Amino acid sequence: MNAPPGVIDPAILDRLSGLSLVARRVVEGYLAGHHTSPHRGSSVEFRQHRAYAPGDELRSIDWKVFARSDRLVVKEYVEETHLSLNLLLDASESMSYGSQTRGDGSVRTKFEYARWCAAALAHLAISQRDTAGLVVFDQAERAKVPPANGAPQEAAIFQALANAEPSGPTNVGSVLEWLASRLAHRGITAVFSDFFDDLPTIRRGLERLVHGGHEPILFQIVDPTELTFDFDSLLKLEGLEDSGTHKVDPKAIAEAYREEIEAHNAGLAKAASGLSLDYLVIRTTDPLDAVLASYLAQRTARARGGSR
Amino acid sequence: MLEGFVHPAFAGLAALAAVPLIIHLLNRQRHKPVRWAAMRFVLAAYRKTRRRVQIENLLLLLLRMAAVALLAFAIARPFAAGDGALGKLTEARRDLVLILDGSASTGYSTGVETVFERIVGRATELVEELEGGNTNRAYVILAGSQPRLLSWPSPAKASSVLATLQTPLDEGLDLGAALGEVRRLAEEEAAGTARSSLEVHLLTDMQRGAFLLDVSAPTGEAADPAGPPAATDTSPADATPNTGTAAGLYEQLTALEAMGIVVQVEDLGPEAQNPPNLGITDLALVGDPGGGVPLEVAVTVANRGTAPIAGVRVGLSIDGNRQPSQRVDIEPRTNAVALFRLPGGLRGAHSLTADLEGDALAADDRRSSVVVLPDPVRLLLVNGAPNDRFESDAVAFLELALAAPEFGAAGDGGTAAGASGNQLEKGPFDVEVAMPSALASGEIEFADYDVIWLADVAPLTAAVIESLTERIAAGGSLILSMGDHVGNAGKEGRGLFRADGTGLLPAELGRKVSTASQDDYFLVDAFDETHPALAFYGDESLRRLLTQVPILQFLLARPVPGARVLATLDDDGSSPLLIERPFGAGRTILWTTTINPDWTYFAGLGKTFVPFVIELVRYAGRAEATDRDYAPGATPRIELTEFPRSPELVRPDETRRALDGDPESTAAGTWNLPPLDPSDTRRAGLYAIDLESGAAEPFAVQLDAEEGDLARIGPTELDNLHEALEPARPSQTGDRDQPSSQGEIWRWLAILCLAALVAESLFGAWLGSKRRVVR
Repeated sequence: MNAPPGVIDPAILDRLSGLSLVARRVVEGYLAGHHTSPHRGSSVEFRQHRAYAPGDELRSIDWKVFARSDRLVVKEYVEETHLSLNLLLDASESMSYGSQTRGDGSVRTKFEYARWCAAALAHLAISQRDTAGLVVFDQAERAKVPPANGAPQEAAIFQALANAEPSGPTNVGSVLEWLASRLAHRGITAVFSDFFDDLPTIRRGLERLVHGGHEPILFQIVDPTELTFDFDSLLKLEGLEDSGTHKVDPKAIAEAYREEIEAHNAGLAKAASGLSLDYLVIRTTDPLDAVLASYLAQRTARARGGSR
Repeated sequence: MLEGFVHPAFAGLAALAAVPLIIHLLNRQRHKPVRWAAMRFVLAAYRKTRRRVQIENLLLLLLRMAAVALLAFAIARPFAAGDGALGKLTEARRDLVLILDGSASTGYSTGVETVFERIVGRATELVEELEGGNTNRAYVILAGSQPRLLSWPSPAKASSVLATLQTPLDEGLDLGAALGEVRRLAEEEAAGTARSSLEVHLLTDMQRGAFLLDVSAPTGEAADPAGPPAATDTSPADATPNTGTAAGLYEQLTALEAMGIVVQVEDLGPEAQNPPNLGITDLALVGDPGGGVPLEVAVTVANRGTAPIAGVRVGLSIDGNRQPSQRVDIEPRTNAVALFRLPGGLRGAHSLTADLEGDALAADDRRSSVVVLPDPVRLLLVNGAPNDRFESDAVAFLELALAAPEFGAAGDGGTAAGASGNQLEKGPFDVEVAMPSALASGEIEFADYDVIWLADVAPLTAAVIESLTERIAAGGSLILSMGDHVGNAGKEGRGLFRADGTGLLPAELGRKVSTASQDDYFLVDAFDETHPALAFYGDESLRRLLTQVPILQFLLARPVPGARVLATLDDDGSSPLLIERPFGAGRTILWTTTINPDWTYFAGLGKTFVPFVIELVRYAGRAEATDRDYAPGATPRIELTEFPRSPELVRPDETRRALDGDPESTAAGTWNLPPLDPSDTRRAGLYAIDLESGAAEPFAVQLDAEEGDLARIGPTELDNLHEALEPARPSQTGDRDQPSSQGEIWRWLAILCLAALVAESLFGAWLGSKRRVVR
C-alpha cells in the first residue's frame, strides 16, 4: 500500500529498529506543526474576568480594572494540570494475527502495530512533560510501568513494550473492569486491542473506567482481512486463543462474516459514543503517523472548542 | 418407461455424473490452513449461513451431475414405447428399409414401363411419405447378386438417389444377401436390444427363382457354368450371379423374424404367373477344337412362356461378322438349339454374339461369349531309332498319326486356303522330326516346341538334358517312349532320371520285360478314365480299343514321388504303362513301351493308336479350347501374348477406361493384366482390352441365364415360405397399421441437459456475485 505524501507507510516503520525510533518518527511531524499547543507545562493562562463575590481572595482582584472602571472584578486562570496517559496494550494471542507480509517473509501483526501506537503516544506525552504509564494485559495484567515522566520512563515503557509478546486468551472487558480500580493516576487511558470480545463485558469495563475518572480512548487495531474476510481458497481456520479449528468456504460465509464484524464494531462504537469516548478503528495497513496526527488534531480542536 | 438405448455403451457414460461429486469431495480435502483471530465472527457467520450454503452447494452439485448424466443419456439415445409413461415425449420415427429388386428380370416391360421403373416409382412414393418427419430415416438397398446400400438415412437423399435409377442390373437377385444387409442395419438399429423397429419393404417382380432356391446347394457355393479359364483369375464372391442359397435366405429371414421384423413383399411384377419370354441361355462350341474337324456354335434358346413359339429367328455374329440367321420352333418351357458352323482354322480369341428378336425382356435376348481356340501344338519328334523300314520306325508311325486330316469339301476348301491368316495349314499339330545328333549340336531350340517326344532316345548329353529340363520347367511337355536303344542302354543311358527326384523322368526305369513268345503278351489292365489323355477310351464301347492291345515288351518303372500312374499292365506286378509327373510349369509322360512291332501291336491297330497318340499330344500340348466368359461384377485377369502397352478397357457401350497397374509376366512368356475392377464388368456384353499396337483381347460378361425365367411365386407360396415374409400389394400397404413405433427422447434429454447447464451457469454466476469478495 502506498502512503500519501507526508505520511509514513507502515512498511517504513517495519524497517525501523527500536520502538524509540518509531515513536519519534511518528510524532515528530505532529509536534513540529503544533507550536501553538495549549499544553504549556506549568505556565499560567488567563481565562476570564468575573464580578467579585464575597469570599474571593483579594489578590485575585484585578486592581487595574478597578482603577479604570471602579468595579471589582476578579481574574480567573486556566487551572494548570499535568496529563496522565495510561497505555493499556492487549497482548492476547488474537493480537498475533497478521496478513501483511514483509519482504523477509515475516508478518506484521496487530500486536506489532499496537505496540507502535503505544510507543508513539508514550513518546508524545513524555516529550510534552506529561506522565505516561503502561499496562500490558491478556486475561490479567502481565506487565506494568507506573505513570511517570522523563526520559527514563520513556525508556522503561519502550522496554516493556519490546518485551511483550502476544499469547494466551483475553477478556478485554473484565481486564478493563479490573484495572479501573487499580490505575492510581486518573487521566487518559488509551486501550490498544482488537476488542474481539463480548460487547457487554467491554461496555462494563469501559463504564468502570469512566466512573473511576479515566477517559478511555479505544484504539481497535485490526488486520484488513479481518474486516473483509477476503480469501479465495477454502480455509481451515485454526482459531487463536484456543477457539478451535473450523473448515469454511470463505466465499460462502464472507457476507455473513462481514455483517457480524460490522455489527460488533457498530456495537463497540455505540458503547463508546454512549460514554463519550473516542473510538478509532485502525487497520494495520494505515499510515500510523497520519492516523495519530489526524486524531490528535481533532482532539485538540475539540479541546479548544470547549466541547467534545 | 425406457425400453433401451440406440447406443447403450454411451449410457454407461452417465457414471461420469459422479465426476462433479468427486471434484467436490476432493476440493473439501484442499483447505488452506490459516491461523485466525476473529473466530467468533466466523462461527457466527457459519451458523447463520450453514443451511443455506449447504442447500446452494447441493443444488449446484445436482445441476452439474444432472447435466453430465443427461448429456450421456442423450448421446445414448434412449427410446421409449409410444404408449408408455414417456410416450408423450417420444418422437415417433419411422425407419424404412427399401429393398429394390434390381435383378435383370425387372427389366421386363409391361407396356408403358418396365417392372424396374415401377419398383423405383413405388419406392419414391414410400420415401415421400417419410419426408414430413424430421427424424424419419430411409435406407435404400439395390439388390442384385450383392446388396448395394445406396442411401441412408435421409429420406430426401433417398429420393434424389431413386431419381437416378434408370435401368436394372445385369445380375440375378441374391435375396439372402440383401436380407443380410437388412439384418446388419437392424442389429445396428436395435443396438443390442434384440428388437428392431425397422419397417422393411421388398419391392420385387416376385421372380420365383429368387425365393425358391435349391435347398441342396451348400451355403456360399456358386454355380458358374461359364467359369473362367484356368489361365485367368476371378473373384468368385463378386462374380457369381444369384449366389443365394436356401439355407442363407432362411437363416436371414429367421434372424429378422427373431428381431420382430416382417418383410413386406410388394409384388410389382407382370400380371401373368409365367410371363412369356424368349431368351438365349447358352452359347457353346460343339466339337473338338483340337480334333481337326470343323466346329459349330450351339445357341440355346429357351421359351419361358406357356405357349409354343414357332419360327424364332436366331442370329449369330462371329467377330462382328453376321452369320445367316436360323429359325427354330420352341415348345413351352423348353429349349431349342440353333447350330452355326464356325469357319475352319480359327485360332486365338474370337467373339460370338447371339441375338433374338426383341421381346419384353431385352436382357436375355442377346448373349455374348469369347472362345479361345488353341494354336497347333508344336511337336518335336526326336527319332532315337530311325529305320528305313517304315514298319520298324516308331517316329514314322507317329508322324502319320498326327498328320492333318483332309477337310471335307463342305468345309473351307480342304486346307482352308484363301481363308484368313488364322487358317491351319498342317492341322492341329505342327510336327517336326529331328535326330538326337541335332539336339547335341544345338540346332534345335526347345523353346520353339510345346511338346518334345523322345522316341527311343538314349543317352543324352548333359547340356541337352539341362536345356530340356529348362524348357519343361517353363511349361513344355516331354513324352518318352521306349525302344531297344533305351531298353539296352542300361542305367548310364537314362540320364533323365535322378534319384533325388530332380530329373525329368517320372519313374526309375528297370529291366526290360519280354514275353516268352509272340503268342504270349500283356494287356492293359486298368487306366484312368478321367484323365484327358485317356478319356477317349472311357466309353464302354471304346474301352476295348485300349485294353486289348497286345504288349510284348516293356520296361519296368518305379514311379518317383509325385508321379501318377495313368495305366497299368496285367502282369504280376501290375507294372505301369503310362506315368505322368508335373515338372515345374510343365509335365513329363513316360510310356514304358513303344510302337515298334517287336514291342507292341499298337502300330497295327489304327483305331487304338491314332486317338491314343492324338489325345496324348493334345493333352501334353494343352490344346483345349477355353472361354473368356465371366459373370457381371467379375474381376478377371486378362492374359496377353504381347506386352500390354497403354491398355484400355472397352465396354459394351464403347466407353473406354485406361487400365492402371503393372502387368505381370508369366513363365510361359505371356503377360497378365492386373485384375479388373468389379465396377468395370457390371454390364453384360462384349468387352475388349485394346492395346496401343492395335491388338484387342476380347472377353464377355454374361447374364445369369436363369434371369430369363420370369415364373413368379404366388402369394400363398410366399406366405408359406417363411413367417418373416408377408405378401402385400402396393394398394394395401398404405392402409396397413404402422408397426408400433419406439420413439426416441434424446432431444428432450438434450434440452434438459442444456437447461441444467444454463441453470448451473446462472446459479453459479448468482452465487459468485453474492459471494464476491469485497476488497
